[in-house]
Amino acid sequence: MTNALFTLPGFAEGRLIGLLLLILIFVLAINFMGSAKVPYIRRVPALDAIEDAVGRSTEMGKPVVCSYGCGGFDYWTIAGLSILGYVAKICAETDTRLIVPTGGSASSYIVREAAVDLVRNAYTAAGRPEAFNEDDMPFLSGEQYAYTPGYVGILVRERPGTMVMTGSHWSEAMNLAEMANAVGAVTITAGCYTSNMAALACASDYIMLGEEQPAAGAYLSRDPAQMASIRVQDIYKFIAIGTILVGLIAVNLGSDIINRLLAT
Amino acid sequence: MSSFFKSRSAQITVLIVSFLLVFVPYFIPWGPLDWLSGKLMTIAAVTNAFTIVIAVYSQFRRSGRFINERRKGWVYHIYLLALMAIMTLSGFIFGQHAGAYEWLLLAVVTPLSSVIYGILAFYMSSAGARAFRARSPQSALLLIAGFVVLMYQAPLTGAFFPGIEGAATYLTDTFGMSVSRMFSISVSIGAIVLGVRMLTGKEVAFLGFGEGDE
Repeated sequence: MTNALFTLPGFAEGRLIGLLLLILIFVLAINFMGSAKVPYIRRVPALDAIEDAVGRSTEMGKPVVCSYGCGGFDYWTIAGLSILGYVAKICAETDTRLIVPTGGSASSYIVREAAVDLVRNAYTAAGRPEAFNEDDMPFLSGEQYAYTPGYVGILVRERPGTMVMTGSHWSEAMNLAEMANAVGAVTITAGCYTSNMAALACASDYIMLGEEQPAAGAYLSRDPAQMASIRVQDIYKFIAIGTILVGLIAVNLGSDIINRLLAT
Repeated sequence: MSSFFKSRSAQITVLIVSFLLVFVPYFIPWGPLDWLSGKLMTIAAVTNAFTIVIAVYSQFRRSGRFINERRKGWVYHIYLLALMAIMTLSGFIFGQHAGAYEWLLLAVVTPLSSVIYGILAFYMSSAGARAFRARSPQSALLLIAGFVVLMYQAPLTGAFFPGIEGAATYLTDTFGMSVSRMFSISVSIGAIVLGVRMLTGKEVAFLGFGEGDE
C-alpha cells in the first residue's frame, strides 16, 4: 500500500486531490451546461437504434421489452431509468405495448416504484394515461435466478419485436440477450462490467460500451445543456490519460510521487 | 402537503441534502456528520425493506388477474401464489434457519438457482459460435486470442502444451487488464457527470419524472 504524500488536519488522509478533482468536474460541468453551446458528440449507434427498433415493433404489432437492471439505486440503474423513460415515451406515442420486467435483487424493490411512476408519467404526457397497464410491469422476484426464468418466460410467451436491456444486469444478461435473439427481437443491451460486455457483444444487435450508458440520458434528451455536460467526460479522460503517462514516466525514473498523490 | 413532497424541486432538495450528508464525511471526518450519514443509510435501508410489501402486493394482484381471467398459463400463477404463501408462512413459523423454510431454501431454491446459472454456458456457446467468425483481420486476431485463453483454461491443454500458459497470461494480464481499467475510468467519469446532472435537476428519470414534469 502506498503512503499518502501529505495529510491535512481535519481532512481524511490523502483525499484532498480527489476532492479537488471532483469540485473541478462540478465547476466544469455546470459551466458547460450554462453555456448551452452544443458540442460535437459522436453518434452512439445503440441509442440511435432504439427509435427504429421500437418502430419495427409497432409495425409488426409486437410488444417492446425494456428493463433497467436488477440493482438498487446505483448509477447503472439511474442511467437505465433514463433510457426506460425514453422508450416509454416512444411506446406511448406510437401505441406500442411496453413490458418492463422488474425485480432481480433485494435492493431492486425501491427502484420499481420510481420505474412505475416514470412509465405512468410518460403515458400521461403522451395524452394516453388509460393505455398504461401496471400489469405489464410485473415484479418477478427479489432473487436473481428466479427473476431470470421469469424474464425468459416473458420473452418466449410474448415474442417481443425489441428488447432493450440496460442498467446493471449481471450473469443473467447473457440468458436474456440470447433468448431475445432466439425469438427474433432486435436486441439492444448495455454491459456493466468488462467480462459481461464481451459476452453481450456476441449476443446483441447493438451494445452500449463504457460511459455511453451513463451519458445516455443527456444524449437522448437532445437538450443542449445536458449534452454539453458530456464534454466534461472527454476532458477528464484526457486528464486521466495524461496522469497515467506522467505516472508511468515517474515510476520508470524511480519516483512514486503520482501514486502517493492519488493514494487514499 | 403531499403535492409539495411530490414536486420536483422538493425531491431535488432532499437529494442535494442527502448527497452532502454522505459526500462531506468521506473527506472531512467529523463525529456529528458521520452520525448523521449513518442515520441516513439506516433510513434508506428501512425504506427499501418497506417497498418489498408493495412489490409482493403487485405480484399478488397480477397473478390474481391471470387466474380470474383464465389467461394463458394461469395455472402456474396458482403455483406461484401457493409457493409464496408456503415460503412466507414457513419462515414466520419455523424461522430462517430451521425447518421447512431452510429445507425449501437449500433443497429447492439453491439447486434451481444453480441450474439457471449452469444454463449460462450453453447460451454463451451459442452466442460465441455465432459471433466468432474470422470475417476480418481484426476478428481473426480476436478469435486467436480467445482460442488461446480458452485452451489455457482447459486443464488437459495445460498438461500437454505448458507453453500456452505464458501466452494466455500475457493476453489477460496486459491487454485484458488495461481494457478493464480503461472501462473503469471512463465509467467512473461518466457516473460523476451523471451525478452533476442529477444534482442540478437535469436528469430526473430516477425520481419517476418524465420530460417537462414538475
